[in-house]
Amino acid sequence: MRKFTVVTLFLMFVLSVGLILSGCGGSVSDKQVDKNSKVQEQQETPQQKTRDTVRIAIPSEPSTMDVQYPDDGNMRAVTENVAEGLLAMDGQSLKPIPALATEVTPTNETTWRIKLRQGVKFHNGSPFNADDVVFSVRRQISDELNSDIRGYWESFDAIEKISDEEVQITTKGADPNFKVRLTLLKIMNKEWVEANPDQVPLQLIGTGPYKLTEWKRGQSITIEANENYWGPQPAVKTAIYRFIEEDATRAQALKAGEIDVATNMLPEYVSDLPKVKTVDGLEFSLLRLNAIKGVMKDVRLRQAASYAVDKRALAEALYQGYATVAQGQVFKPGYIGYNPDLAPYPYDPEKAKELMAEAGYNGEKLEFVGERGRWLKDGEQIEAIAQMLRAVGFNVEVKMLSFQQWLRVLFDRERSPDMIFTFHSNDIFDADRTFGTYVYTKGPGSSYPDTLDAKIESARKEMDLEKRSQLYREIGQAIYDDPAWISLINIQDIYGMHDYVEYEPRQDMRLAVYEMKLK
Amino acid sequence: MYKYIFIRLINAIIVVCGVSLLVFVLTRTIGNPVDVMLPIEASIAERVKLTHQLGLDKPFLIQLWAYFSGVAQGDFGLSWWQRQPALTVALERLPATFLLLVTSFLLAFTLAVPLGVLAAIKPKSLLDKICSTGSLLGVCLPNFWLGLMLIIVFAVKLGWFYTSGYGTWRHLVLPAVTLSVLPLGRITQMVRSAMLDQLQQQYIVTARSKGLAEWVVVVRHALKNAGVTIVTISGWELGRMMAGYTVVIEVVFGWPGLGQLVVESINQQDFPLLQALTFVIASIISLLNLVIDLTYPFFDPRIKYD
Repeated sequence: MRKFTVVTLFLMFVLSVGLILSGCGGSVSDKQVDKNSKVQEQQETPQQKTRDTVRIAIPSEPSTMDVQYPDDGNMRAVTENVAEGLLAMDGQSLKPIPALATEVTPTNETTWRIKLRQGVKFHNGSPFNADDVVFSVRRQISDELNSDIRGYWESFDAIEKISDEEVQITTKGADPNFKVRLTLLKIMNKEWVEANPDQVPLQLIGTGPYKLTEWKRGQSITIEANENYWGPQPAVKTAIYRFIEEDATRAQALKAGEIDVATNMLPEYVSDLPKVKTVDGLEFSLLRLNAIKGVMKDVRLRQAASYAVDKRALAEALYQGYATVAQGQVFKPGYIGYNPDLAPYPYDPEKAKELMAEAGYNGEKLEFVGERGRWLKDGEQIEAIAQMLRAVGFNVEVKMLSFQQWLRVLFDRERSPDMIFTFHSNDIFDADRTFGTYVYTKGPGSSYPDTLDAKIESARKEMDLEKRSQLYREIGQAIYDDPAWISLINIQDIYGMHDYVEYEPRQDMRLAVYEMKLK
Repeated sequence: MYKYIFIRLINAIIVVCGVSLLVFVLTRTIGNPVDVMLPIEASIAERVKLTHQLGLDKPFLIQLWAYFSGVAQGDFGLSWWQRQPALTVALERLPATFLLLVTSFLLAFTLAVPLGVLAAIKPKSLLDKICSTGSLLGVCLPNFWLGLMLIIVFAVKLGWFYTSGYGTWRHLVLPAVTLSVLPLGRITQMVRSAMLDQLQQQYIVTARSKGLAEWVVVVRHALKNAGVTIVTISGWELGRMMAGYTVVIEVVFGWPGLGQLVVESINQQDFPLLQALTFVIASIISLLNLVIDLTYPFFDPRIKYD
């Protein structure tokens, strides 16, 4: 979730003016590098000489170290390097790979046998075994913890210990996403958690490549390489996280050489940073159209709207190219259900006008609900889209609501507006999460008829990956032809860093310090 | 005197309770933390569960009673977002804010008083014009913009100080200077006008005709009599710094204080933490007001608290 304020926008404007005035726009010169080393000399720890420590700035302090509780990206930036799941996610292909489990095999439709890796130790030295797994899974899905993210494991029914090396999990029906769910469930140390319940929010004992060594509340978190790690030793020995909420300050801290990596950079800063790495993020913007009642019920008008919006212009003008036009769907390649045959609706105002004439559209007022400040440039996107729709003759009335009110409208099927703008991020990289939310009539955010419900339900139970993907491709095609929404753009994640940092950002937005190298 | 303090403390408790009640009502009518805490894609069943767990499905008065009976025992509940006792989370941020606040305030006050006095002694002189323009500029400059400009010049270009963070005096300089600009401007203006006021009084003429040295007239007589005004406005500024300006400054400079926590807890819709923060800030400001009132007799012996 990107937080974005009017203040920041104003700041960016002022900053860019300021940068031009003070003549430090443009690329990095030698002078810049010299200045960095000057700052370095003044610092207590001469980073540049040893280069085994990376200093990372994230937007906000992690809320807690109870890795099973919150939905908190700032926490994950730290804990993904400290705690592990039974399976891990390959950061480029988005496929589950072995981690604390060596094998995960279905014995029937609802039962999974899981073989555990042997010889693994937690950071406090205690051995990892089946008891820890049983404890962690039970804790994660328990009513007592009632975690914000427990929805991921709604399908889990029970877990049993078979032996010290093996556990068995049963699900409440077929769950094709079982393996992905395991990548999100982190394993904690049973003995330690039971002995130190008060410490759980403050300290994390995991099995990962790094151990959490210090948390100066409000200031920094330090993690250090775990010399007893079961996998390959990471190249970076120590990572220090700092929390700088203001994007402009985070960029300046990078320029001043106080940090080595800055996450969540804005397109405006790119030209001013030493080096950037980008990757298509998880956030897709979409404009949900009301297919069940009102003027937009006519499929031709929904198609017309799809032709009328110039997605490329949104990506180029608002995000300076640091956004990708969505391929007629809100999935990236690699998601289960990605349909390679779809392409964005072309920008074709003439075609839009034709369809509108055909549908007999006569200037009826259309309600367009949006919000501002939750995601990067959401308000600007809304204004631009409304303008594009007006340009072909739609009579659009934009209603900007506060996030809370906007959510209420989004979830209210009975009173769906003609159009509502939202960002959507699919954290398990599986079409069910998207269709189950915005197409399925029992989903929280659907304004679509029940024509596809049966297909969504059968795909949910389909264990054969190929058949399932085929079902999702069909649904994707159906809501493309008879639009449920206009798929707009996919924002890129921008990481600012210094030249000596080598890091390829992952497709799943995880910040993996163990994949970093320092030159 | 003691009776007065006692009554004032009772008043302060009423004020703090009132503010807490106001925040309680507002947060619960405007916000819905469940929507913020859960991913947008969460199911309706998940939302109902969390609402129940946070106790937000209980009747409003029951929630209110639960909160105030907790506070009466010094228990503000757990912060939803940090899973820690809310009051502890709030109090551990207090030292950083105090450090910033006190440094900035002392900087502003020690500069503002002499500047205001000098401007008042010679009205319409060049010095007066510089002071007036400067203080107006200080009041008008958006402080987050100023902060960023200082970062670019002194931290990035010159490398003298740090862009952000906490720990050494070099981390403190830029946020403290930025934060002091606004109160500096305002207090200077107030000192100037209060002094101008006093210097036209009859007793000043008397004092001068007695042959007292000019500095004695200005400092011992005029400034002392202007003291009530100056202390009042300074206290007021200190309160505003605490409850307002620091928020922006702490966010811009990544300073780990209360202000940053306020922003975060609003973003996270963390009601218990928000209540604890309000309580802490309202209590401090109430006490600050009391202390200021108690200094009045020093400047004006006619004021008595009996």
